[in-house]
Amino acid sequence: MMEIRFHGRGGQGAVTGVRVLSTALYYDGKFTLGIPMYGTERRGAPVVSFLRVSEGRINERDLVHEPDMVVVLDPLLGKTVPITEGLKKGGLVLINHPHGGLETGIGGPYKVATVDATKVAMETIGRPITNTAILGAFAKVTGIVTMKSLEEAARHQWSGRIADMNVKAIQRAYEVATEPVDVSGIKAQEVKREDRFSRNVSSWRLYRPVFNDSKCVGCRRCYILCPEVAIVMKENKAVVNYDFCKGCGICFEECPTKAIDWVQETI
Amino acid sequence: MNVSQKFEVMVGNKAVAHVARLVRAKYISAFPITPQTTIVQYIADMVANGEIDAEFVNTEGELSAQASALTAEAAGVRAFTATAGPGLLYMHHPMHATSNGRIPLVMAIMHRGTKGMDPDLSDMMAQRETGWMMLECENGQEILDTGIMAYKVAEDDRVRLPCIFAGDGYILSYTDEPIDIPDQAMVDAFLPPYKSKIPLMPDQGEESRRLLMAQWGVGQDPQKRWRDQQQAMENAREVIKEVNDDFRKAFGRGYGDGLVEEYRTRGAEAVIVAAGTIASTARVAIDRLQADGKKVGLVKLKAFKPFPADDFQRIAPKVRAMGVIDRNISLGTGGWAFSEIRNAIYDVEERPRTLQFHAGLSGKEVRVQDIMKIAENTLKAASGAEASAAAEWV
Repeated sequence: MMEIRFHGRGGQGAVTGVRVLSTALYYDGKFTLGIPMYGTERRGAPVVSFLRVSEGRINERDLVHEPDMVVVLDPLLGKTVPITEGLKKGGLVLINHPHGGLETGIGGPYKVATVDATKVAMETIGRPITNTAILGAFAKVTGIVTMKSLEEAARHQWSGRIADMNVKAIQRAYEVATEPVDVSGIKAQEVKREDRFSRNVSSWRLYRPVFNDSKCVGCRRCYILCPEVAIVMKENKAVVNYDFCKGCGICFEECPTKAIDWVQETI
Repeated sequence: MNVSQKFEVMVGNKAVAHVARLVRAKYISAFPITPQTTIVQYIADMVANGEIDAEFVNTEGELSAQASALTAEAAGVRAFTATAGPGLLYMHHPMHATSNGRIPLVMAIMHRGTKGMDPDLSDMMAQRETGWMMLECENGQEILDTGIMAYKVAEDDRVRLPCIFAGDGYILSYTDEPIDIPDQAMVDAFLPPYKSKIPLMPDQGEESRRLLMAQWGVGQDPQKRWRDQQQAMENAREVIKEVNDDFRKAFGRGYGDGLVEEYRTRGAEAVIVAAGTIASTARVAIDRLQADGKKVGLVKLKAFKPFPADDFQRIAPKVRAMGVIDRNISLGTGGWAFSEIRNAIYDVEERPRTLQFHAGLSGKEVRVQDIMKIAENTLKAASGAEASAAAEWV
């Protein structure tokens, strides 16, 4: 049995991508389980899903903890998500990245293949939805699924012009994907987040609230309304724990004394 | 594996929608609630596309979903509804009316627990005394097949009781897997058209009074309904077995005897008992342990109501320990399956030791190695080691 973990962001189509791949593998005579992880993720938040592939029926209904392969739909995810966690020694990473496997910042006893899926998606679909483009690269670097089945599965999922665009994305990605390279000599880049399953939602933020103590009158509106309970009151002033702040902006909107600044996040 | 055109890679919730289509439900009511929501979406699509010829009503809540579905079924058309978690709790009141009316309504449940959104059996457990039959499924294929079988069991004249078919929410709702969709003609041949037994007019004998609240002053035994319904539940055990056999003949698939399925229990000194997706993962644990020469098997529990007491009485003398895994708890008592199994085997002279495990509540992941540990503890108890009477939380 082969076990694969997919990393993406909400809205990139990781779930649909896994379904199309699952269907294609099935056309090639394999049994598959495509397992999405659902939570309170919103568009842009890091998400994971899993795929099991086997010659016979699969009974495991737990999650995949030690994958044989990791597929990453977004080149920036590696900064905040430990994408090689649990990956077996000698395991393969396929990442959406504009450069070759040695320049992705991924290091350790693994092999890394790349495809510029964002560029492929922009050229073929016109939107940065990378889920189908990555599948063409998947077919090339793994050899476990045929392009014929991938095309058939894409045409089962979509129809007409949308299907044509996605099929084109799959074919283009197959052509431009780079071969896997050994990255055991490369030092892995540091990942800020430690726990994949924690409730840390800081990576969801595009903006952060910054509290101005001199204007805060201690009315507790933000404290009561914060949906993530990220705000606590200390000495009658609002204090935010940024690990739990997803950047929804409710506190900023509701503050009656305009004591909160809304500051854009930078990498 | 054998590739057939009928197969499609789909999620469990879509398999449920296909049940409503294949049984030719004429009235479908539902209120969307996670993780059941996409069932409603798939059904709405199928109705809009003309694949299902039914009146589909998106009700304002689950109470009306149940009340209108039971009424449609009583009036004479096959009906369908589906819910989860708090939605099921909201249905509780009219669910009694459905069983009291001996209305063979069938409903899908995608489990969502009562202490959050994650799955466990606490939603269905809160309906234990509503008089519904309850069948649990371990994968998408079993959901589709059990849904079809449920109608045949419920509508059997010896039973005429409503039936739930259930699966673990999220884990089955959203997992894509290849599922065989039976041909409509084969389902039509398997499941005859539905006829209501309830006369529409109030003066047509005892049957016409089923839906009335008033039982007093009609000169009959006030306990009669309870006795009749208990008899129907007892009858359902045999009917479920028959329907499971018929299904196997027609479609080439069956699920044990319809109530429980024994997996690699031949020569086993101990068995573990599990239901739903835990039973599926347990197959892997049992395979690994038997490869190591450990004599432990699996009994998959499929029917929670009627409870297959006779199956456990048959299995009990053959093993020295049973480890029961419950994805539920009756607070103040213990696990649902554990309590029922102990009750069932009390009169068996050579009865095995029983161990109680709680796992997977509020969606806690149950891994292969968790079940291996449970199975090994059960095996130790079988060989005479000290076994704690207290439940173990995994």
